[in-house]
Amino acid sequence: MNQFQYVRPTKAQAAIDAVAKDANAAFIAGGTNLVDLMKRGVMTPQKLVDINRLPLRQIERVGTGLRIGALALNSAVADDRLVREKHPLLALALNAGASPQLRNMATVGGNMLQRTRCAYFYDVAMPCNKRQPGSGCGALEGINRMHAIFGFSDKCIAVHPSDMSVALVALDATVLLSGPKGDRKLAFADFHRLPGTTPERDTNLEPSELITAVEIPDSPFTRHVHYQKVRERASYAFALLSVAAALDLDGNTIKAARLAMGGVAHKPWRLAAAEQALVGQPATEAAFQRAAAVAMQGAKAFKHNEYKLRLGPNAIVQALKTAAAA
Amino acid sequence: MKTPEKHIGKPMNRVDGRQKVTGAATYSAEYELPGLVYAVLVGSTIAKGRLTGIDTKAAAGAPGVLAVVTHLNAPQTPGSKPTGKDPSQPQTTGSALRIFTDDQIRFNDQPIAVVVADTLERARYAARLVKGQYAPEKHQTNLEAGKAQAFLPTSAKKNPKSPMNDYQRGQADAYKTGAIKLEQEYVIPTEVHHPMELQAITAHWEAPDRLTLYDKTQGTMATRRDFAKEWGLPEENVKVIATFVGGAFGNALHSWPHESAAIIAAKVANRPVKLMLTREQMFTMVGYRPHTWQKVRMSATADGKITAITHESIGQTSTYEEFTESTLAQTRMMYQSPNLTTRYRLAALNVGSPIWMRGPGEATGAFALESAMDEMAYLLKLDPLEFRLRNYTEQDPETGKPWSSKFLKECYRLGAERVGWNQRQLAPGAVRDGDWLVGYGMGVGTFGAHRGSSKASARLLPNGTVLLQSAVTDIGPGTGTAMTQIAADTLGLAPAKIRFEWGNSDFAQAPTQGGSAIVNTVGPAVQEVCLALKDKLRELAGAGNAAFASAKKEDVIFADDHLTLSGNDTARASYADLVKQAGGTAVTVQSKPNGENGQKYSMYSFSVHFAQVRVHVLTGEVRVSKLVSCADAGTIINEKTAGNQMKGGAVGGIGMALMEHAIIDDRFGRYVTKDLADYHVPVHADAPDIQVAFVNQPDPYVNALGTKGIGEIATIGVAPAIANAVFNATGKRVRELPITPDKLV
Amino acid sequence: MAANPEPDVPANHNENRRTFLKQSSLLTALALVPAPVVSAAEAKLDERVAESIEKVPLSLKVNGKKYKLSVEPRTTLLDLLRENLHLNGTKKGCDYGQCGACTVHVEGQRVNSCLSFAVMHDGQEITTIEGLADGDKLHPMQEAFVKHDGFQCGYCTPGQIMSAVACVREGHAGSADEIREYMSGNICRCGAYSNIVAAIQDVKQGGQKV
Repeated sequence: MNQFQYVRPTKAQAAIDAVAKDANAAFIAGGTNLVDLMKRGVMTPQKLVDINRLPLRQIERVGTGLRIGALALNSAVADDRLVREKHPLLALALNAGASPQLRNMATVGGNMLQRTRCAYFYDVAMPCNKRQPGSGCGALEGINRMHAIFGFSDKCIAVHPSDMSVALVALDATVLLSGPKGDRKLAFADFHRLPGTTPERDTNLEPSELITAVEIPDSPFTRHVHYQKVRERASYAFALLSVAAALDLDGNTIKAARLAMGGVAHKPWRLAAAEQALVGQPATEAAFQRAAAVAMQGAKAFKHNEYKLRLGPNAIVQALKTAAAA
Repeated sequence: MKTPEKHIGKPMNRVDGRQKVTGAATYSAEYELPGLVYAVLVGSTIAKGRLTGIDTKAAAGAPGVLAVVTHLNAPQTPGSKPTGKDPSQPQTTGSALRIFTDDQIRFNDQPIAVVVADTLERARYAARLVKGQYAPEKHQTNLEAGKAQAFLPTSAKKNPKSPMNDYQRGQADAYKTGAIKLEQEYVIPTEVHHPMELQAITAHWEAPDRLTLYDKTQGTMATRRDFAKEWGLPEENVKVIATFVGGAFGNALHSWPHESAAIIAAKVANRPVKLMLTREQMFTMVGYRPHTWQKVRMSATADGKITAITHESIGQTSTYEEFTESTLAQTRMMYQSPNLTTRYRLAALNVGSPIWMRGPGEATGAFALESAMDEMAYLLKLDPLEFRLRNYTEQDPETGKPWSSKFLKECYRLGAERVGWNQRQLAPGAVRDGDWLVGYGMGVGTFGAHRGSSKASARLLPNGTVLLQSAVTDIGPGTGTAMTQIAADTLGLAPAKIRFEWGNSDFAQAPTQGGSAIVNTVGPAVQEVCLALKDKLRELAGAGNAAFASAKKEDVIFADDHLTLSGNDTARASYADLVKQAGGTAVTVQSKPNGENGQKYSMYSFSVHFAQVRVHVLTGEVRVSKLVSCADAGTIINEKTAGNQMKGGAVGGIGMALMEHAIIDDRFGRYVTKDLADYHVPVHADAPDIQVAFVNQPDPYVNALGTKGIGEIATIGVAPAIANAVFNATGKRVRELPITPDKLV
Repeated sequence: MAANPEPDVPANHNENRRTFLKQSSLLTALALVPAPVVSAAEAKLDERVAESIEKVPLSLKVNGKKYKLSVEPRTTLLDLLRENLHLNGTKKGCDYGQCGACTVHVEGQRVNSCLSFAVMHDGQEITTIEGLADGDKLHPMQEAFVKHDGFQCGYCTPGQIMSAVACVREGHAGSADEIREYMSGNICRCGAYSNIVAAIQDVKQGGQKV
């Protein structure tokens, strides 16, 4: 790993300024992904701005929603009384991710900013447009069993690995940002981006912008929720794919639904059409299967991830069944 | 007089437990030496070709860098000189790849340079600055493509008695004429040992011709021999210490390039050097269980008698070393088939060399054989256990010799009862619990019960304690504990008064830890050295007390730190006094090397594993809900550590069955599974509460202790048990491991 | 709490500062020394200056002992413990947060020490396996691991034990299944999982203070 400058500001503005000053500077919070990438030479910042001492750890009621500071630890959020009461789906998604140790380090902001786990991105001896624009996509014609079925481009077929983000996109969260040009809000669904011709950009963050919080509006999805994560072992593994499902039931009738998938696209993948297909329907396996079919429209597989076309709808049905029964 | 307490068979706590739970156990990268510096390897980025240049300037000039060694400036050692052998004849297993000797690239991530610096961070940084330039050649890393050029191993060509040769009994390929026929292919992917301790070595030239290695190795003496030879040194000038080994499962059975590199680096930098591999490097340069294709053809009569088996195997090896393993051994001796053919071949690819991984060969072979047994039972509409019983062998069908002992039927009974085999439905997919399908499966394992050559030394110290020493390593099974128990019983001493020291090549000769042979081999040596010590003590006691001199041997009692005589209340000689009598420092004896005990019997350990699995109907996830492993491993020295070893082998089998697969992108010849996030090994949540049962009947022939070995049979047969259970649950037969959800949805 | 009063001034100074120092004060100081000695001495002094500039001060409390250190920002907490403080009980099993062998407690919480830079823990309290026992008296979890044979090779053991203690303290040791889930960040390749779970249940049911 290269040497780097290290600063540890205590105010958000100072942190933003410290990054803005330097073309090759980066924020560091939990470090659970950045340190890993730096060890392998995938990311080589010359300056790290440690934001751990910024006052961004609060989880609090704000108006008719919940505001979670960007530095709140994944474990703290998952264990938080308000989160469990108002947004149990988020707690489920968080606890499905990583390990207790990593959840004690990883922050909400950092979790959103995880880079893809695509092997070609990680190995500096192989091509990857995300790591080195123009070098080619190694996965396109390579080993792509973990890769995208939605929203990919011929430049990049990587997926976003976060579990938490799948729940947040389903819950209509908003991201609060602070940058050199001031503060702004971004719908969570617009935070991550599709690869297009610039897969090197994972998100719509502007240079030097800092995530300060995530806000989740109150919703009726406080009970019938489930996070279905399918992985190659029982715990501590990235998803083959995952589904966040939330239902608002009136008796057995679906009043409203939220559905999103992880491990299928360059961003957490909200399934709006499938949600619509569920509204007014009875909470039955048949209705869930119809919604799953809608959800999978437009999905396209590569050589090794054809199974996702079968697993995807199955996981959606399972998530909805479990949510309905919750 | 009270009978001395027996320790063999007791669930004694480990003698090194305290060190392990307090962090005091010292592994090979944890020795503090004055002036210690750090070495980091640079790997090639092509799989085959030539290094046309290597730019080391930036690295050499980086802060703290003491040396950058490549093939251009490495000291040439006697062992690295060309041997004049025909290069088209790769070496057989056991010899390290010589590194930094030429510009040839034989596999991707082959070390092309080693960088030495004063801190780990600086060495790592500088290593990134080394750039190789290559003339790549077309490589082949794909087994399917390599199969076309598969060949009989050279060791078989040279030696007609080699078990790697084609085997035939009865008619060749007689399955063709059988009543009920089965023909299937089975594939296991490359699996990697991945012990939790990254391979590490600390190399210290104590003098220009004296080398001390603190090394992760399963054999201190083998490592000493390899590197003494490489450097042209007398073996006594090389000392190898491996007191604690953080797991190995076979990957420290071989001397590897990084060890050579560290020794070279220490020589060039003239400082003690520590080198620890990265997890990526654990895939490429310290061996693996090779990707293997197998085909089983089997026939049986309608009433379930096997009439013929033909079992073929092609395993991957490297281009510079012919690695072989006993993939087909179990097929030749497990079932009573009058006609049997086996053919073993290798495919040489541009990859690093494989090395035996827990239950080597047999675990691979058992996946095919035991899956095929299940498939045949299904065709016959027979319970798979009943099918196995109908083809049970009462003597070895391969050699015609009687078994030294075989209690496999007892294992079947114990296991079937504990797993609830009577709950199993013959029709697959018949049992459902909510969203989960439930199924049962079984798999049988066997491994040769070997006794190698070993010595041990024993020293009675003035305080009445005994110090035993052996060069053997303890990679986790609890060798030190078992030896202490054996010595305690033989000497009539409390375990607390015995110290067994291991893991040092200067200690009494012992074999490399592997092949489930250590208790069989070192155990008797410890027993014999303790008996020799007692002889010596009797002799000393006789010299001081005529009553002992005239007593019959069997009347002398060793207990409570004293020699006494049965029927004589006054004769009494304390160990401490005998030491004084012998000159004051110690009474020392060394046993003679011993070895295999006759060839009149076929000697094997046996196991059977019963699995209950749950398969999610929608997601295809498999959970092993019950696993029962039963073993006929002869005498069990320590039920606690032996049970633990069985459970551990079963967990390894869960990994093999459900998740482990190292994948190469053949276009680049590079692994895309590069760490423990891509290459999954079982975690806590994957392991049920595994049940273990031992028959615990001594084998009368393998050795005087009656042991047969556990380490391998703990894993062999587990993967097919799980695969068979998945079939029983779902009706889906997965013939290519691992059984990941994508194969079941 | 901040290590440096002016947040935008790097704790380790930048390349320009280094160049400046090298070109000014050092060379001035060496101007009176004969030429051949200058180059050799300069190289060494430069190295020393570079080292002091590249390092940052760090105060830590490890197992109750206070340390005042000077470290490179790129040194991970794991490497600091093992290579600088010689606390080798904390193990390196993957270096990427994928095995749990490096688990320590930071301010009482279990974390992977391989994935954080030591400087990020300035002023914090770290507990490693070496700090768990009370003198010669083993911690109940250590006792239970010995009793239940919760290990084989011993390499993952310190991490398992640190994690197990946290698992009980967090209240995640309610059942065998809960223990399995909340211990899944600690891989044991020897496969001693059943015994580890038994050890944790024993401690949990024993009701001793952990």
